[in-house]
Amino acid sequence: MKKVNINRRKFVKGISAVSGYAIAAPYVKTSHSAGKLLLGIWSHWIPGADDNLRIILEKWGEKNGVEVKVDFITSIGNKLLLTAQAESRAQTGHDIFSLPTWYSTMFKHRLDPIDDVVEDIINKHGPLLDSARFYAHLDGHWRGSPAPTGSFFDSFVSRYDLFKEHAGIDLKEIFPAHNNRSEELINNWTYDTFLTAAEKLYNAGKPFGATIGATPDSRWLSALFTAYGAELVNKDGEISVDSDEIREVLEYLKRLTQFMPKSVYAWDDSSNNRWIISGEGSVISNPASAWAVAKRDNPEVSKKLWHHDAPRGPKGRFRPDNSQFWGIWSFAQNKSAAKDLLRYVAEKSVVDSCVEASKGYDIPLIVSHFKNNKTWVEASPPDGVLYNYPMRGDEVPVAPGYPAPPEIASQITTQYIIANLVARITAKDQSIKKGIRWAENELEGIMRG
Amino acid sequence: MKINNLFVWLKQKPRIAFFMCLPLILMVACLIIYPFFYSIFLATLNKAETKFVGLANFLFLFKRETFWLVVQQSIFFALVAVFFKALIGFIAAHSINELPSKGQRKWRGMLLIPWVIPPALSTLGWWWLFEPTYSALNWLLEKLSVDAIPWLSETFWARFSIILVNIWVGAPFFLIMYLAALKSIPEDLYEAASIDGANYWQKLFFITLPMMKNIISITILFSIIVTFANFDIVRVLTRGGPIDTTHLFATYAFRVGIESGDIPLGAAVSLFMFPVLAVLSFIILRNVRKRTNEV
Amino acid sequence: MKFLSYRNSINSNRKWALFAAYGCLIFFVIFFLFPPYYMLITSLKTNKEIAELSTNPWLIKQGLTLEHYKYLFTETPFLIFFKNTIIVTISVVIISMVISVLAAYSLSRLRFWGSGVLATGIFLTYLVPDTLLFIPLFKIVGWLGLLNSYWVLVLVYPTLSVPFCTWLMIGYFSSIPKEIDEAALIDGANHMQMLLKVFIPVAMPGLIAATIFAFTVSWAGFLYPLAFIYSETEMVLTVGTVTTLIKGDVFHWGGLMAGALLAAAPPVIVYAFLMDYYIAGLTSGATKG
Repeated sequence: MKKVNINRRKFVKGISAVSGYAIAAPYVKTSHSAGKLLLGIWSHWIPGADDNLRIILEKWGEKNGVEVKVDFITSIGNKLLLTAQAESRAQTGHDIFSLPTWYSTMFKHRLDPIDDVVEDIINKHGPLLDSARFYAHLDGHWRGSPAPTGSFFDSFVSRYDLFKEHAGIDLKEIFPAHNNRSEELINNWTYDTFLTAAEKLYNAGKPFGATIGATPDSRWLSALFTAYGAELVNKDGEISVDSDEIREVLEYLKRLTQFMPKSVYAWDDSSNNRWIISGEGSVISNPASAWAVAKRDNPEVSKKLWHHDAPRGPKGRFRPDNSQFWGIWSFAQNKSAAKDLLRYVAEKSVVDSCVEASKGYDIPLIVSHFKNNKTWVEASPPDGVLYNYPMRGDEVPVAPGYPAPPEIASQITTQYIIANLVARITAKDQSIKKGIRWAENELEGIMRG
Repeated sequence: MKINNLFVWLKQKPRIAFFMCLPLILMVACLIIYPFFYSIFLATLNKAETKFVGLANFLFLFKRETFWLVVQQSIFFALVAVFFKALIGFIAAHSINELPSKGQRKWRGMLLIPWVIPPALSTLGWWWLFEPTYSALNWLLEKLSVDAIPWLSETFWARFSIILVNIWVGAPFFLIMYLAALKSIPEDLYEAASIDGANYWQKLFFITLPMMKNIISITILFSIIVTFANFDIVRVLTRGGPIDTTHLFATYAFRVGIESGDIPLGAAVSLFMFPVLAVLSFIILRNVRKRTNEV
Repeated sequence: MKFLSYRNSINSNRKWALFAAYGCLIFFVIFFLFPPYYMLITSLKTNKEIAELSTNPWLIKQGLTLEHYKYLFTETPFLIFFKNTIIVTISVVIISMVISVLAAYSLSRLRFWGSGVLATGIFLTYLVPDTLLFIPLFKIVGWLGLLNSYWVLVLVYPTLSVPFCTWLMIGYFSSIPKEIDEAALIDGANHMQMLLKVFIPVAMPGLIAATIFAFTVSWAGFLYPLAFIYSETEMVLTVGTVTTLIKGDVFHWGGLMAGALLAAAPPVIVYAFLMDYYIAGLTSGATKG
């Protein structure tokens, strides 16, 4: 079996210069062996995106003699996770399953290694984002392959009019809708600049708002932590929360939270959307969905929004990463067809179609795929609003909990240790020392194995 | 002949009695007792479920600050919520019973509505009332020149809110149970008391309450169990926040077991509900039995 | 003279009690009904007005709309959810009633080894909450091939309804005088005949009370469908409404509220018709149990 794969890989390498569809052909033959393929796929938040993907998958099925059945499963109420738990315990269900962020780690014992698939994809389309490897390449094996939908990276979503009026910052000038950014302006966009702006906006009654609660959107905090080099657990798996970097970032957050609404400790993933759409706020950290809903519910606000990079910290510029993968259950009935399909959905034509159907919400994990995509260039109003929604400059996507080993990082994320720590210090007025001791205790619990 | 024998055998009283209970026994055995013991087994495994670790998960929990917080909160939540549900249910039932019988149905119907809307959905409605940016409650407070209340973002108010919603959902159940019990108290007891010159409060304390003791105990027991194990309300409103200060057993077990993927530890958290409730039930049920026997 | 003052005090007592009763009830009605009222108002507002901050949220200012209800029926599988929920609920009610009536008859009238323990033990099953059971149930459900089928709910919901129903029915059956069944037995009736011809008709109010309880439990169930069902074709109302109308960080508030109110309608109707029986049923079951 292994031998065959190696040969196939070499074969692919050899002809990768030839156009896309010729490559898909060699796999087709194997697909005929089994008749049915069941997919449990993350249900998209943008209306119409699911239907688009369903058509793509069913067309592939028709062409290859495979009966494809897709169930779109929402992540609301942890439904996707519960279903994954149910299937992995019952040892029955779908063949291919969606794996947002940490699922690859959580279910790695129940997922087939798919090194051959991912290596084929990399050989053909070029490298994936580094964070993808962090999420899905575990103990030397790939457990997940890039999904065509559902990967997104929170950018800052700001009211450029308010920034200009109250903070004297022209976001459209710093982050123009083209690739010729001014080095100087970009370099000045730091967390210190942001703090000053946040204060001015707060005084103008239109503050910065982002959740500090136990909810996935609190990942903006982990990007901020990384920008300060603050690591809860280092890459060797040692607890490193008692550090100057952590103290520095907490001190920073103490100042920043003074200029944020007090309700952020109870915000969930939708609160920041409502906050910006209602016109109360001036800046949030979010994917493109807030703007899309504003277009429907409050067009006046949507015309004044601008997506742009996060500020830079002492250690660089980072944005929270929410990659999504597809994996194959170890109990899947039709593994060979499943692998072929994983290869197919990494094709540029598929990915482009999905990005378009998601109205620019999805950002592909394959670097070459998102560099040339019109969806983000053409979105409006205002013209260029989404241009900087994907990473255009020196911004690096980072998984929450990075650089701890995935097993630990996933727990840091899912137990919301960072948000909890920040809330303790900024809302409960605990001393930083006490907060760090609490975090150490929690982390010891996580590492118990 | 053989079939006939079987019939005779079946017709013996204890056997037919047993067979009539068989569906119940099977259901309880397969869908409650077996999974229950399986959970105990799960709770003795390590996180990857590959190794037996004995009581390590339980011992680990004992050392967690957060776990003890959850224990305290669950007990506090259940006791306070059940107390107010019982009180409101009692007052409402008593008030309805005071009305002329013609008007009773209308009031009863209106007061039952919270219990009829599926709680998972009505809680969403409450959440919309509490939502920080759009809170319609805070809008009212503002009109009354009162400061906006941080319904879900400050510990005190978050606890207040989940208890309030739980009372809202659960009080009508007490109302019906009490109303039923009130109706079963013979009228002549009150008449006799009136002739003896008993006032309102005396009748309440010496007739109504003693006659309702059993139903009050059973309803409270049932409610404590259900409230203690509550999941929907906290999950929808606060997801345990802010800073874990509204977590209950069920939501904390969900966070640990499902969200973080440590199913054995989650099972261990859930299992702690059992001894707490068992002790409580034992006490209440024993009292009920005693009183029933006295009657 | 003495008689007159006694009458007077009764009257003033009565009046005072009635006054207090109305006061309390008005207060409770406001507390109980303002959230449903607000849900109704929200479901009739346009999306634009829901997102509006400046107007009074308790009133509809920008025109009433049925768009959310229309959306629910035309753009979402709401009717499928409805149908599934009805099938599940009716099945659960029937199963619960059969199991609990048989068991209650046996436990209240006949005795066998362990029946006393069983009678108490039934109530104790509530000590094992569904939040603990659903993980081990994954295995059983998968083994039965019922994952992602609404029949799984028909299988597991009775565990939530049967104990309470059995307990109610035991109370009710116990209140039926022993002379009745002795007479029937002498007439040569067997236990089944006696149960069907004597006990069930006499215990009808209790039966209805138990039915309503089982109905409410399976209509409102949330965790089990959330854990066991993922296809829209198999979904039930509670979970389906939430999963189709919340899209990530975007809430379709109008539709959610409309869905919640529509989901509440069948129980309201059932209660309206059966309430009197329900109270009568509880009366006997509760006090004797």
